[in-house]
Amino acid sequence: MLGLFLATTVSVFAQADDISPARKQAIDSLALEKVKDLSKYISIIGSKETQFSEANRVMDRAEELFAPGAEMGVSSINSSEIAYYKVRRYFERLMALNYDRVNITWYDIQYISDLERQPDGRYVGVITVFQRFEGTSIETGMNYKDTTKKDITIYVEKKQTQIAGRTIEFWDVMLGDVRVTETSA
Amino acid sequence: MRLISLIFAFFIASIFFVSGQGIGGPGTIKDDGRFAASTKQVNQFFRRFNAEESPTDGNKRYYPGDSLYHNKALRQGFLKVLFDNQTSSISPDLKDEFQKNVLSDQYPQYLNFHREGWMAEVQADFIFKGKRETATLVLKLQPEGLGYEWVIDKVSFPPFKDLFNKPVGDSKDFLHPLSHELGFMNLRRAFQDSKMPEAFTKSSFEPDYLTLFLYEMKQDNVRFETVKDVKFHFFQVEGWYFEVNQFNRPGFNTGWLISNLVKLSPGDKETILKYIYDQE
Repeated sequence: MLGLFLATTVSVFAQADDISPARKQAIDSLALEKVKDLSKYISIIGSKETQFSEANRVMDRAEELFAPGAEMGVSSINSSEIAYYKVRRYFERLMALNYDRVNITWYDIQYISDLERQPDGRYVGVITVFQRFEGTSIETGMNYKDTTKKDITIYVEKKQTQIAGRTIEFWDVMLGDVRVTETSA
Repeated sequence: MRLISLIFAFFIASIFFVSGQGIGGPGTIKDDGRFAASTKQVNQFFRRFNAEESPTDGNKRYYPGDSLYHNKALRQGFLKVLFDNQTSSISPDLKDEFQKNVLSDQYPQYLNFHREGWMAEVQADFIFKGKRETATLVLKLQPEGLGYEWVIDKVSFPPFKDLFNKPVGDSKDFLHPLSHELGFMNLRRAFQDSKMPEAFTKSSFEPDYLTLFLYEMKQDNVRFETVKDVKFHFFQVEGWYFEVNQFNRPGFNTGWLISNLVKLSPGDKETILKYIYDQE
């Protein structure tokens, strides 16, 4: 049951659709764990010390965090236009960056939105985090740095499973589209 | 009141040495306060406007019943940092008047995510007949199914701009009032001979550009390229209009901020809406 937050151990479904502040906090923690996993995977995929096979394995793990069809929308300081990449393609581009040394770190701050219900009954939220990227090319001596804001969609859904004949409800979190904006910081 | 002022003073001061929980573990970079100060999401704009989260980093969400929920002094502090104080030319007097209005003891005003009275304006590029064109889309939030969704309310698309130009008056083409006696055989004038078939429509005819836009899209004549810009228009504070834009720049006054503020006189709202919708 790794990664699942058990909402209740009995099959009581009444008024279960509203999310109380306490429940919201628990869901936030679970969502933040997923974002932490993603940030860890991004750092590994981007690192030049990571073997190709290992990077591929981590990409698989990272992809599993996302809902099907999720995209990364990337824009830079110089262009407000959004370039769209499928999540896997984004990771592959990150892995293929032409630097000898890459260092990806994260700022010690994040912001978690309220959860809003969508027409299909699932909840959606956005977690904002900030990433620092540094790439160095030994040959050219070029050193590239940027700081990006990542607004990460989270989908929160109540699911049920049967354990020893009892219906267990739990909240599951999946990541969705990610908006990547280069900041002036 | 004094306690809250102190809390807010601490917020302003602490943006220089704030630390958060962090997501990266070892090697995490310490924010110097700029990201904490930034209004990072539109959601945070709402929360700060209403005083529904803690100062400093917004990590604590305030709910009804919490002592600082909708607290006036906290709102006062937040409102000061919710304006674009670097490039917008909103006069201090107008800001003060707005703040007094919003924070009124008798009738304090709050923003509500689900309530009517705010909309998004999105600039997006499309390829139309081989040429890149920018469309302005106005989106609104509406209840649907078990929750809410953003929907396209209107579109303004330059190639459609001069497509319809309905003439009026005594010099326009028309179907004479006894056309029915001829079984409307003269419709040929409207549909074959005229370059302006809209001349034959009723006085109140207004083209529906969104339908036209969607039709062209279904015909594969319009292809989405990218989103270029987003801003928000608010009419939720009675007697006021303001615009919220995203400011991505160095410093502490960044993120989603009020960039335009108008005190509304009778008729102003309609004028602004007409301008936003650009449907003239």
